[in-house]
Amino acid sequence: MGIKVVERHGNTFKEKLYLPAIFAGMKSTLKHFTKNLSDASNIPTICYPEEKPTDITPRYRGVHRLTHREEDDSIACVACFMCATACPANCIEIVATFRDDGVDEKMPAIFNIDLLECVFCGYCVEACPCDAIRMDSGIYSVIGKVREDFIYNKAKLLSIKGISKEEYSLAK
Amino acid sequence: MNTVLILLPLILTILFSLATVPILVWMERRVAALIQDRLGPNRCHINGIRLGGIIQSIADMMKLVFKEEFLPSHIKNKFYYLVAPSIAFMSAFLTFMVIPYADNITINDKTYYMQALPTDLGVLWFLAFAGLGVYGIILGGWASHNKYAILGSMRATAQVIGYEVAMGLSLVSMLITYGTISLNEMVTYQSQSFFIIPAWGIVIQPIATIIFIITAFAETNRAPFDAAEGESEIVAGYHTEYGAMKFGLYFVAEYIAMAASGALIVTIFLGGYQLPYLNTADLINNFELVLWLIIAFAVVTSLMFLKWMKSHNIYNTSGLDEKKVYATLIIGFTAFAILLMSYYALGFGHASAVGVMILQFAIFTVKLFFLHFVFIWVRWTLPRFRYDQTQKLGWNILLPLSLANIFITAIVVVGVNYGN
Repeated sequence: MGIKVVERHGNTFKEKLYLPAIFAGMKSTLKHFTKNLSDASNIPTICYPEEKPTDITPRYRGVHRLTHREEDDSIACVACFMCATACPANCIEIVATFRDDGVDEKMPAIFNIDLLECVFCGYCVEACPCDAIRMDSGIYSVIGKVREDFIYNKAKLLSIKGISKEEYSLAK
Repeated sequence: MNTVLILLPLILTILFSLATVPILVWMERRVAALIQDRLGPNRCHINGIRLGGIIQSIADMMKLVFKEEFLPSHIKNKFYYLVAPSIAFMSAFLTFMVIPYADNITINDKTYYMQALPTDLGVLWFLAFAGLGVYGIILGGWASHNKYAILGSMRATAQVIGYEVAMGLSLVSMLITYGTISLNEMVTYQSQSFFIIPAWGIVIQPIATIIFIITAFAETNRAPFDAAEGESEIVAGYHTEYGAMKFGLYFVAEYIAMAASGALIVTIFLGGYQLPYLNTADLINNFELVLWLIIAFAVVTSLMFLKWMKSHNIYNTSGLDEKKVYATLIIGFTAFAILLMSYYALGFGHASAVGVMILQFAIFTVKLFFLHFVFIWVRWTLPRFRYDQTQKLGWNILLPLSLANIFITAIVVVGVNYGN
């Protein structure tokens, strides 16, 4: 790598006149203006409630969901508390209980996520050893009238469907 | 008729300055949006009628009017603090008083001036009040007792001192060219043409035009010379401590000052209310032909607008069906105007003087709105000049240039008039 000499601009008479450059800039903005005025369909703005965003991918971190086991459709979570430990916002509340059906040893009796506390960092998904919690629901608007509406419990989290093809937990 | 013609320019002054502010705010936001590939405000509506977003700026004004007026407790000179925005507003508003909206009209051997203040000292009035407008900014910044505010007002002061000189000198060269300081006579001068070129100020004095337009931007504190409010550096500049309608007055004053500067640029450099090649006498003599041309123009533009609206007004709001309302209004209004105009065009009535006056108002309005568009267009094209660049441009370039321009103009004018 040799020494790169950067060309200095703004010293010629034409550049010091400013006006040619200003008119060039105005021409460029006018081009945008006339193009958008004659055909508004090129404008990338989304008129939100009527038009929905089209760029929600499976990797988009939306509202959490709890996955099911492929064999018997039961909850995949084993109440290991990894997600609650990883959570920087401390928004996950888990109460563990014994599992009597022989599928596994433990499962959560209560699994609450306070979405008002949640920062949607995705650490819980990273921490989960069972692929039991995911954020691939694609839900970006969480609506409620009282604060309690934003605390999603186990049943609610289990009922949310993902937008990726992998519907069940991939953990073995 | 007498009272109406005397009051008309006053009413037009209020219309052009106050009533256009919501439209200017809307234009500013919509043009900015379209330049930046966005849509701009288009949601606010009254029973489904959005007027393309103008309702949004009316709502904004309402918000400013009904907001709580509070006085920061650290302000010691409450009188100056409160009076400053009104100075900015009043002087911007008064600047408009001398603009001729149409040629002097003679009815029953009596001449009426279409200026709110029928004075021959129009240019001096403009310079005086355009300069005074900055006092509102300076006083507001000082009385706010805030470092950002005082920095903003200091910048405004230095900028105005630098640019007012060049502005005055570029006007002097125009006064030498026209040989008059009456704004109406200047417009009359511009109705003649040299060979095939209309003798507009922009054609005969291009350098003075450029200097005046640049200084007008600086004088009204518009971008790229809006260092006084430079929000990226000094919060909001001179109006940091102002809220509610006190801020609203500053906000309105900026737009009125812009409108007044635009009106003066139209009057001095863009032929005022004149059409190229057609002076007032020509228009009055060929009034029927002019009317037929206007009728054709009205039909074509309203059809084009209807077609444009059909493809652009996509989202329906609740309430009335907006597109139907507009289509009815446009078709109805165009039909009414055409009927009225053809009544006169077919020779049933004679109102050519008043008709030409209305036509000249319309021409003036179109030119003024073009100038507003240019102001907005420049604002959303150019970044803000750095403070030292502003000073350098004002003192080192514009001032010598305007002096040289006066010198050359004087030589040419003396040389041309030498034989006479």
